Formats: sequence, C-alpha cells, structure tokens
Amino acid sequence: MTGRSTFLSALGAATVAVAMGTGAQAATICFAFQDLETEFWVAGHKAITTTLADAGHTVIERNANEDANRQLEQVNDCIAQGVDGIIIIPQDGESAVTIVQTAQDNDVPIAVFNRPPSDTSKGIVVVADNATIAEQAVDFVAQKAMEEITDRPIQPLIIVGDLGDPNAVGRKDGFYAALAKYGDKFAEPIEVASEWDAATALANLEAALTANPNVDMIFTSSDFLFPTIRSVLEPRGMWKPRGEDGHVLLAGLDGDATACKLIKDGLVDATGVQDLYFEAQSAMDAILASIDAGEAQPNQVIEDPGFALTADNLGEREMDMWGCVLLSEGFLNN
Amino acid sequence: MTPLLRFEGLGKDWFGVPAVRDLSLDIPEGQVIGVIGENGAGKSTLMNMIGGIVPPTHGRMLWRGQPYAPQGAADAKAAGIAFIHQELNLFTNLSVAENLFIDGFPRRPGLLRGLIDRRAMRDRAARILARLALDIPPDRTLDSLSPGERQLVEIARALHRDAALIIFDEPTTSLTHRETERLFQAIEGLRAEGRTVIYISHILQDVRRLADRVAVLRDGRLVGEGTIAEFDIPRMIRTMIGRDLAAVYPPRTSVPREVPVLEVQGLSAPGVIENVSFTVREGEILGLFGLMGSGRSETARILMGLDPAERGEARLRGQPLTGGPRDRVRQGLAFVTENRREEGLMMDASIRDNLTLPAIERFRGGLGLDRDRIADVAQDLRETVRLKAQDLGRQPVRALSGGNQQKVVIGKWLPTEPRLFILDEPTRGVDVGARSEIYGIADRLAAEGAGLLVISSELDELMGLCDRIVVMSRGEVVATFDRRDFEERRIIAAAFREATSAGEAA
Amino acid sequence: MTAMLSPAPTAPAPRRPARRPLARALLSDWFVLWLSLAYFVVLLPFLPTLGTPANLVNLLSNAWPLLVVALGQTFVMTIGGIDLSQGAVIGLTSTVAAALIATAGAPEVLSKAPIWGLLIGETGGVLAGRIWFGILAMLIAGALVGLVNGALVAWLEMPPFMVTLVSLITVSAFAIWLTQSENIRNLPDGFVALGKGEIVSVYFGPKDTSQIPRRQVHDLVTYAAIIAVALAVALHWLLERTAFGRQVTAVGANRKASEIAGVPVRRVIVLVFVLSALCATVGSILYSARLEAGRPTLGEGTFLLDVIGATVIGGTSLFGGKGKVIWTVFGVMFFVLLSNTLNLMNLSTFHIDMVKGGVILAAALLDVARTRLLRSMA
Repeated sequence: MTGRSTFLSALGAATVAVAMGTGAQAATICFAFQDLETEFWVAGHKAITTTLADAGHTVIERNANEDANRQLEQVNDCIAQGVDGIIIIPQDGESAVTIVQTAQDNDVPIAVFNRPPSDTSKGIVVVADNATIAEQAVDFVAQKAMEEITDRPIQPLIIVGDLGDPNAVGRKDGFYAALAKYGDKFAEPIEVASEWDAATALANLEAALTANPNVDMIFTSSDFLFPTIRSVLEPRGMWKPRGEDGHVLLAGLDGDATACKLIKDGLVDATGVQDLYFEAQSAMDAILASIDAGEAQPNQVIEDPGFALTADNLGEREMDMWGCVLLSEGFLNN
Repeated sequence: MTPLLRFEGLGKDWFGVPAVRDLSLDIPEGQVIGVIGENGAGKSTLMNMIGGIVPPTHGRMLWRGQPYAPQGAADAKAAGIAFIHQELNLFTNLSVAENLFIDGFPRRPGLLRGLIDRRAMRDRAARILARLALDIPPDRTLDSLSPGERQLVEIARALHRDAALIIFDEPTTSLTHRETERLFQAIEGLRAEGRTVIYISHILQDVRRLADRVAVLRDGRLVGEGTIAEFDIPRMIRTMIGRDLAAVYPPRTSVPREVPVLEVQGLSAPGVIENVSFTVREGEILGLFGLMGSGRSETARILMGLDPAERGEARLRGQPLTGGPRDRVRQGLAFVTENRREEGLMMDASIRDNLTLPAIERFRGGLGLDRDRIADVAQDLRETVRLKAQDLGRQPVRALSGGNQQKVVIGKWLPTEPRLFILDEPTRGVDVGARSEIYGIADRLAAEGAGLLVISSELDELMGLCDRIVVMSRGEVVATFDRRDFEERRIIAAAFREATSAGEAA
Repeated sequence: MTAMLSPAPTAPAPRRPARRPLARALLSDWFVLWLSLAYFVVLLPFLPTLGTPANLVNLLSNAWPLLVVALGQTFVMTIGGIDLSQGAVIGLTSTVAAALIATAGAPEVLSKAPIWGLLIGETGGVLAGRIWFGILAMLIAGALVGLVNGALVAWLEMPPFMVTLVSLITVSAFAIWLTQSENIRNLPDGFVALGKGEIVSVYFGPKDTSQIPRRQVHDLVTYAAIIAVALAVALHWLLERTAFGRQVTAVGANRKASEIAGVPVRRVIVLVFVLSALCATVGSILYSARLEAGRPTLGEGTFLLDVIGATVIGGTSLFGGKGKVIWTVFGVMFFVLLSNTLNLMNLSTFHIDMVKGGVILAAALLDVARTRLLRSMA
C-alpha cells in the first residue's frame, strides 16, 4: 500500500502546517454557537471570542442558526480541521449530549457554555448556579427592606418562571433560601406565575397587586420582565426611584442592559448576574488545562456563582456585568 | 429604377452546410412579394440576413442601391425594415399607445421634458390606428385585444416607425377568418401608400390573393420567380416541392366497411353543442367542417372526455365511452389536438420519449421498461410516419419542423392501436410536402380498419381526403355530404346555414 | 430544417463553432461532477484539511441524509412542483418516532406535552424499543402529509408552492405542539445506529503531530451510506426505467399533453408528493438517529435552502420536465463540498450564507443557459 502511505505523509505535512504555532500557549479553539438572536447570547459570544483572542488563541467560529444538526456537522468539520479544543453553546440540552459524545469519541476536549447538557457528567460543563445568584440579589434587597421597615412583617413578591425550566426552579429556590435566614421578619411571599411570558406575567401581577396593594419588595426571575413590572407599578404610583416615597424594592436576575440602566436610574435595586466573563475564562482555562495535560475527554462541572449588581456596588462591578457592557456600547440606543 | 432591396449571389453556410446559396433577387419598391417554400427551404435564414441577425457568408445585399451589411437588428430597423412575426413582440400589460411608442415616448416641452406627453402620444396613436381603420381606443391594454387586433397593432408600430419594408412571417396562423380579412386589407393599404411588403406563408391562396410577385425557394436556392399571373397555385406547389400537385392528396386506397366504429347519439353540452349525432365506420375518414365556433373542436374535446357532456352518448365499437382521457385512450381513442405545442408535445423532450408516451405502460418488461423494445418501436414509427430526424433518443421535438412535429403527434398514438383517430387541424402550419405525407398516413390508417374523424377549417383538405363530410353550424350538425356529392359551394353554404336544400339533412 | 435556421430576431445565433465543446460539457449529465472535482482540486493546495480522511468522511456523512431528502425534491421538481413541507415532515416524523420508541421519558421535560401519558411515559413510549414499528409509524405519518399535499395539488389544482407552504406551517406547528417544543431522548441503540453506526471503518494510524494522540478510525461505510445509496439506485430505476417514471417526466414537461395521452396525471402527482414526503421521512430517520433525539424543530430554518439548492445545482429544472437522480447525487456532492470548504476557510456564517445564495443563483442561471443552449443547438 505505498500509494496510501504517500497520501498519508502528505496529510501529515498538512497537519503540521495547521498545528504550527499551536503550543500550549496558542491553541486553535473551535467555538460553535447556536445563534446570536438575543442580547444575552450576543454578550456570551463576545465574552468567549474576546477572552480567547486576548489570550492569543485562534478562534474558529461556527454559527448553527438554531439548527442542531448543522451544529453537529460543524463540530465534525472542526474535528476534521484538527482543532485543539471545542467550546459550544448548544441549541438545547439534548443535542449537547450527542455533540459532547462525538467530540470525546474523537479525543477532542470539549466545553459546554452556559446551557447545560441534559447529562452533565460528560465534558466540561460551565453552568451558572441560579440558586446562588438569585440568593445574592434577593439578600441585598432583603437587607435594605429590613433597614427601612422595622415595625411590621415585610411583604415580598416573586415572579416565577416556567417551572418546567430548571433555571426557573433554581431561581425560585434561591429566593426562598435568602428569606429563610430572616425568619418571621418577612410575611409569606406572594407567588406570581409568568410561564416566561410577558403577557401572562402582566395579567397575574395586576391581579396580585390589586389583592395585596402593600407589597414591599418584588423579585422577578428574569430581567426581561422589568418593562412589564413597570407598566403595572407606574399607574399605582409605585414606580419611583430610590429615596422617593412609594419606591418598591426591586430585584431581578440575568443582568441585561435594561436592568443595568434601571439600576443606574435608581428604579431597580439589584440584579443577579451570570458572570459571562468568568464563565468564558473558566471554559477556556479548563480546555487549555486538559490540552496541556494531554487529557482528551475532560469531564468537569464548573459552577458560576455569579454576583449581584446592586445600587451599592454599581461603581466597582459595573463592567463585570454583560448588560452594562452592552449599555456602555450604546446597545439600548439602537 | 433601383430596386428597394437587391440580393447579389447571397449565401449562408452553417458549418459548411449551405442554408441559402447563390441567391440573386430584386425586391421592387411598392410591391407585395410572396416568398414561399417548404420548411428548411431557406426562407428564415434569408429573412435573418435581411434583419441583421445572421451575417451572409457569400454575396451581398444592396438597399436602395447602396451596400447594406447590417450588424444587428438595430441596423435593420434604422434602415427602415420592420418584421412582423408569428409570435409578437408586444407588451401585453401596456396600452396600445404605449406599445407604439415604447422605443421613444413623446416628451412634454420645456422644463417638463422628463415627463411623457400622454395627450400627444394618444393623439398620434389614434391617427396611426385610423390609417389602419383599426377601431380601438389607444388606451386599451394589449391583453384585452384579440390576436388579430394585436397583429394590427404590430403593423401600426411599423407604420409609426415609417418602415419602408415590412416583412410578414406566417402572420395568419393564429387569426380568425375575419381577422385575416382585416389584416389583408391593412396590407393592401400599405401597398397603396407605396410601402414594400415581403409576405411569407404556407397558405398559398393567401399569397395568390395578396402578392404582386412570387419568389419560390427550395433547398436554399431560388427555384422560381415571377409575377403572380405566372404562378397559379398548382405551379407554386410544383415549384416548391419539385413534383406534381396530384401527389398532395394521394388517392384513397381502401373503401370504408359497413361496421361502425364510433356512434355519437344526441350529444349535447348547453351553449357548446346541441344534439350532435353521427357515425364513423371502420376504414372511413369522416370530415367535420364548420366555421370557428361551430362546435367542431368542442365535439372532439367532449368525445375525448376533456369536457363534460350533459346529454347523449358516444359508443366506441358498441361500448359507451366513459371517464376521462385515460379511460378513453384505453378504450381505443386517439386525439391529435389542434395546437400541438400546448397539448400534443413535450417540446424539450426527445422524439423517442414523445413517440412512446401514450403506450408507455405497454412496454413493461421484466425489470422496468423494455428499453430495447422502446427503441425498436420508435425506430419503426420513424419509418411508418416518414419522420425526418437524426437521433430519436437525443433530438428534442422542438428541433423538428412543423410537419415533422405533427408526424410525431400522429405517430405517438400508433402503438396504442387506436380504433378511432380524431385529427383536429392535422396540417396547420405544415408545409406542402409533409402535408401530403400526413394525408398518406391517414389513408393507411383507414386502410388498416381504423376510423378517422378529421376536423379542418380548410375545405379543400377535407374534400381531398374524406369519404364523407359532416357540417356543423352553431353547435348543431346541419348537413352530411357523401364523397360523390362534394361541392365546395354547397358545403360552405351549409356551414353558413343558408338554405340547406342540398345534401341530406341531418 | 433545424431551429438554428429560424431563431427569433432577438435570439443570439451561435456564431463561433469553438463554443461546441464547451456547450457539450455544459449539457453533459456529468457536468456538476466535473465542476465539483475541479473545485476540489483547485482548493486542495489552499485548504490542506480538505483532503484528509477525517474531512472526507465528514463530507460523506453530511451528504447522505441531505441526498435522501433531495431525491424526493427531485421528483417533485420534475413534475414542475416544489415541496416546501419536507422540513416539517422531518420534524413531525422525528417526534412521532421518538415518542413511540423511546426507552424512557423524562417527566420534568415532557410532563406538559399532550402526548405524555398517552404515547410516552416514564417507562418510554408505547412501542418502547420496537424500532421497526417506530419506523413504520414514521413512514405512515410522512405518507399522510404527502397524500394531503398531492391530493390538494392534483384535484383542486392548487399551486404546489401554496399547498406545501401551508403544510410547512401547520405540520411543524403540530409537531411542536405534540411535545411543547421539547426534545425526546433515550432512543433505542438500534435506532441510533442507523444514523451513526459504522459497518466498515478504516484505521489510518495515530497522528503524531497533534498535541493529543487521536484515534484515527473513520467510518467509511455506515448504515446511512447504505440507505442513501440504495434509495438513490432504487429511485434512479424508478424515474428512468419504469412507466411511472416516464409519466412523471411527461407530466412535468406538458401536463395537458400528458393528460390527453392517457397519463394518469392526478395519480402521478399524488404519488410524487407521497414519495417526496417518504424521502423526507427517511432523512428524518438518519438525522434523528445522528442526534440521538426526536426533535419537533428538526429540519426547520435554512435546511430547505440546502435541499432545494442541491437539487437545482444538480440540474433538475425548476420548470419541470427535466430531472435526473444522478444530477441530484452530484448536486448534493457539490453543495456539501461547498459548505465544507466555506467552513474550512473560516468564513463567518453571514458570508457562508451569502456565498451559498450566490451559488444557487448561479445554478439557476446555468439552468436557463442550458435550456437556451439546448434549443439553439437543436
């Protein structure tokens, strides 16, 4: 089979050319993401590409346009190209399992960013710890509430997400964990269902506030509902900046550009932030570590504890929050 | 006097094969010149050389005595030559006036130069239309006009451009009798104005009526030329095909048998046909004659199951015809429709695919189609219908002449072994030579025992071919003539429903 | 007499005989294959990865499911139609099969789906593990969609574009409703093997130059390959060597003439749409197995662009009457090669889709050019 061996040596030479300059410090990383439709994913995409590029690595980007099959094909192409590692934002938890397995079968280290596979035991899984993040944000507004109101139990309200979504469950758990620490200083929380739908949230919140006009603090399981909350609170004179009469303590979670602006304007007090920059850094570090260690199938779950951006720490941590970065780039002006 | 256009030893080769050779001819100004010849005689190539579409390879042309070598259609137009084709170059979504001025709209004066002067355009258009006695408002859009009126608009456009030479290429194929008449009046009007006309047509009666001079082409050569007085129709045909007229209608080689093939009884479809009854016998060629709108083609469509009948029935060999075309083809009907492009042929498919389509299910072999048998049958059909084609499996039907296309439409039915053929206008757009061959095929089909129902608007054709002629008028059968009673005047009178004293009443 | 002698005045007349060899190449059945090979050879020096065994195996594995779907589209285009519902059929059949044969169901994901407790529960689908029944159910579901499409086009004479656009919308909405947009995992191993399982693999030895020693086992002959090749051969036979196939071409070339010639036009149209949906279903098997999940959203988005693009690039005419299975095989090859090379050039997705769009436009223009050429050469 001399024919084949010549063919192979030619291939070997080609691979050397590709691998040139990819020492441990400069790797070629394939970044396959599902799409760039929402601002959260735009921010995530940017966090990863800039983190990798700043560290001197080559990034090969692949956009699957929300097609899981195409993402699988793109990851296969990356593997054939001989990349050193792969970071994916999967279309969903199910296809992530398949893609992780494909990469590991081909001995390429892979990390899954932010949207966890339904089976987190395989691959490097970087995932935000929703409960912890929610707890931090709620804790901040709870403290504020306890400073202001001492004569009666404080009335909290939570807007919960779609409880079929593990993220929503985690956020709800974090909310209750924060309040549990303070015992009977807080009244039984009012739960408002949103099903991750603005219209549903609007109707349910209207009803809840009509029945209980004396709500002191509100936690929304996602920042995207702030405009909805505003349209309910404003007519009731409850949409006021900090320090004015009628201000209701507000906390959210996600850390989007709207939330950043509202915190700056004093209308919102805190939001739990998924620390995308931490997540991007961790994914990269873990991938590079396994490349250096010669480990082809690294399995590891990295939890992003996140942080709460609050009225108090706005000055120091603003630029750690992706929403504020987008805001500073003029995102909301468009 | 210098002729308007002169050809001197003109020739054109296609890859060494001459399409026109050594042609010398004068086109005198102010006359109508009929150019006739079979398909492939070189008429189109000659016209394309005049139009600047193809350059000649030999000889030259002189326009008003000056050398004329057009580099494209624009040169011909600039010289004052206009073409009027079978397929018109009009914009059906625009108005008549806009079509006339499409290559140069009248502008408003002064500062408004950018705008079209609609009133001036309408007035000028109306004047041009009046010259053609064309009574249509200039604002009408083309798609609301009949084919004949559109043709006249095309002529109007040539007039507007002040063309000195107007070339008509088979202008009457899609026109009704009355529209044709109007076209002829328009052409006579052009001659009266001193314009020159070249008129190309297969319909020799029309050439005879219009032309002052006739030029006959055969195999790329000019084989006859002279005044119309020298060329009666038999001589035109003789010169065109190089043999005698008698051969056009070959003698019938068999007589009809007594057994009926098709019995039509009281067939009615309201507003279309009314109580139509006739019988076609084995081996008989029955002609169906009538004016446009008399219901002759409609009868054929109803027989084929393409349109519904409300009352009455048709029996083929005793069995009632039912269902759609597929069932009726299986029962033994074959239908050659009046427009082969739209309803008869797959123009871009190969000749073989066309020839074997109706009977394709009969070619099932062990594993799929028996392709050897298909090739054999197609080859046999080529012989049977005397098809002039190079490669049955590769050549698309589009590449064939009208006559050969028509032979394909007829030939494709033979493998289904039909008992009754319906031929609607079987020789429309077919040259004289192929026409004669198609009549020969019809005769042989009858001799083999099939019945034929031939529909035609050319009475000559029916009288030359048929055993009997059934005349229809306004949806009804008005008369039937046996061959021995054929007389042009009486048949036409019946078609116009004048006193039907002659012939047997239906 | 040839058409060359009677072009309309505006038609360009062939003047230079030198164009003939080029014309012949352009009209050849193999044109797109030559084009693909030329493209491959030209790019090889610039994209060294292109010719690696791993990449070639990827090319093939991407081609098989696309080919299967495009084969159905070829038949529809040959009758002068278009089937926009193929992607929706893929999503529907993927969901149906997974709901029936999954070996376990996740209540936290699926408990809100209308099919929960009806077709699938915690112990899996009602046909858990019975792959062949699942595939049968997929084929029946797919055929039903095709039947409705075909019946509307044939009997109500509605334009195929409208009919299949409506199917696309309703069928994919129905598939998403079935599981409330959730995916169903836990497909039986035997099913997954249809998309991923190899039959013959090639070992090329370790690659020393990479930082991590990699296995170099390449799946050469997979079940997907066998299914796709077998289907292509069968459909080639159907289109070229059977009366039905000739009637399909005839209906596309001239529906009126075909009807008069006794072709069962309506039956042909219905069968072609059923066939198209069945091809989409087989494609769905391969795609679902590869992703190891039933997905209601499978086949959405620009997938249809790939299918129609590959078919048209192959040479099947959008106007009907002209279509060949072998053209589509080459068209798919070229399209997959194109996507692959654009990926290897590390272009951004926007550029990739722009180039793809341009190539489809070029293919459509080529179709026009070929038709003209054919007429002028005749």
